[in-house]
Amino acid sequence: MTLASDSYYMFQRWMKKLVRNPILLFFSLFQPIIFLVLFTQLFSSFGTLLGGINYTVFATAGIVLQNAFSSAFQSGTAVVDDIKSGFLTKMLATPASRASILLGRLLSDAFRVFAQSLIILVLAYGLGVFPITGFVGYVLILFTVAFFGLAWSGISLALGLRTKSAETVFGIAGTLTFPLLFMSTALMDKRLMPDWMKSVSAYNPISFAVNAIRDLIMIGYNWNSFLLSFGVISLIAILTMGATIYEFKKVVS
Amino acid sequence: MPAVQVENLVKTYGDGTQAVKGISFKVDDGEFFGFLGPNGAGKSTTIKILTTILRKTSGLANVAGLEIEHDAQKVRKLIGVQMQDTVIDEDLTGRENLMLQGHLQQMRGEELKERVNELLKVVDLGDAADKRSAYYSGGMKKRLDLASTLVHRPKILFLDEPTTGLDPQSRAQVWSYLKGLNQTGMTIFITTQYLEEVDRLCRRLAILDHGEIVAQGSPSELKSEIGADRITLGFENGNPGTGSLKDKAKQVLGSLGGITEIVDSDEGIVIYAKNGGFLVPDIVRAFDNAEIKLSSIGVSSPTLDDVFLKHTGRRIRPEEIDKSRASGMFGRRRR
Ligand SMILES: Nc1ncnc2c1ncn2[C@@H]1O[C@H](COP(=O)(O)OP(=O)(O)OP(=O)(O)O)[C@@H](O)[C@H]1O
Ligand SMILES: [Mg+2]
Repeated sequence: MTLASDSYYMFQRWMKKLVRNPILLFFSLFQPIIFLVLFTQLFSSFGTLLGGINYTVFATAGIVLQNAFSSAFQSGTAVVDDIKSGFLTKMLATPASRASILLGRLLSDAFRVFAQSLIILVLAYGLGVFPITGFVGYVLILFTVAFFGLAWSGISLALGLRTKSAETVFGIAGTLTFPLLFMSTALMDKRLMPDWMKSVSAYNPISFAVNAIRDLIMIGYNWNSFLLSFGVISLIAILTMGATIYEFKKVVS
Repeated sequence: MPAVQVENLVKTYGDGTQAVKGISFKVDDGEFFGFLGPNGAGKSTTIKILTTILRKTSGLANVAGLEIEHDAQKVRKLIGVQMQDTVIDEDLTGRENLMLQGHLQQMRGEELKERVNELLKVVDLGDAADKRSAYYSGGMKKRLDLASTLVHRPKILFLDEPTTGLDPQSRAQVWSYLKGLNQTGMTIFITTQYLEEVDRLCRRLAILDHGEIVAQGSPSELKSEIGADRITLGFENGNPGTGSLKDKAKQVLGSLGGITEIVDSDEGIVIYAKNGGFLVPDIVRAFDNAEIKLSSIGVSSPTLDDVFLKHTGRRIRPEEIDKSRASGMFGRRRR
């Protein structure tokens, strides 16, 4: 089965590239860590507003997702590099399965988000964030985040393949990140939002994923919110992957 | 069965550029085939089509007896391609680059490892094999790129200017290695600016200009078609000579017999004449009488350079191309 083995070798290539560019890893981890350490301290009094909880515990779900969101956006720029350098063409001149080129990249995105989220959760643990669902909770959180990252990678890949410009991908990513984050339940409970924002955040896909993860950390197993978030992420994944495959086919043919 | 067979191949890019305008040629199995032409002639475009990277607009193209679009997957297993711009993954080591290429060609295990070791030695990268290729010199990168096209022992090798940018020593090495590969039966399809090597190694060649084939045949056939020696004239006050000087010189030459062709060139004027040696005294005398000072006069039997000049009106100058490429490092070359 060459799709599986080809995807594995593509995945391996991306992982090597990632660990050999620690600066990239540093930058994408830097922001969530700042949020985790400084932002939560600065806004620790929100905990009182939210009914006497630890704000760091509250915000961890949002921070983990924000990290997934911004890491996933680097995917498109990596593919732009491959187009510009001609490496994509070089791979296309081999009998490697075309789908493996995308699949390998997506797997590496998911794995990366998984690993980075783990680092953040370990740090959070040090700051007193202990998910009440324990080990199983950790596993569910990590898979949800990785799945979420995968779905967002699709947007960035489709943009990269379409515009073939890293600047454009970065620009759009930078513009989208904070509005989407702030208009979700990532950092604030919906009870404390103005009405209009409450309605926006209710439809914001980030909110669904955040709620599922937050429940696993603070409340326990809430299968309703968990399955709902998987439904929403799946929907996004189908849309973004559809766009990515469509753009990829245009580039490849 | 020919290794490559092309009939009426046309490529029109999306923006309307007609890069290839209905070319036909054939490369026999085991042949060392040169594909020449000035910048923008359509060489790279043709290579990209033959290697299944680019779709043709119309025409027939078979590689190893397989229709390139219908049997693209099979073709990809049989060919190796080195693109004009060096393509390696600079985050990976030399060895890793080759291993990846082998893996994508479905090679595995010990067989692949040995093959990679062997190739690393051949391209003289044994010592740098486990160093990140970002730290390789330009020539090392180019050699690694070449090696990466050979991992799966292709039957037909397509090379787009594989030695451009290499120093003379590595260039000679690459050519002699290519010669060795060809002797083992590999068909080689190469575009290059180095006509001396083409003359020595290529059994046949085609010259492409503005998307059309303007000449094809063996080097000796093409040279004998010229049927005349080349006499190069240089002028004292200034090269390419001012318009009027050049015109006057041409008038002078026109009065002489035995000249088959007069061509302008950057160095002055080139004339083609049968038995050129005998004509030299006449030329010198005629210019003396006309009071035009010659700074140099040279006679040579025709070379591929002359063939190229005759068919394209231009001259290939590898040294200048190298220089312009080196100074243009930061801008990507037009493709
Ligand atoms: N992707 C493209 N879109 C539009 N036009 C293109 C594209 N690629 C090449 N061309 C044009 O097609 C023509 C042939 O280009 P090609 O790269 O095949 O030439 P070449 O013979 O390889 O030249 P060089 O010696 O400079 O490498 C040129 O006019 C070029 O500008
Ligand atoms: Mg070219």
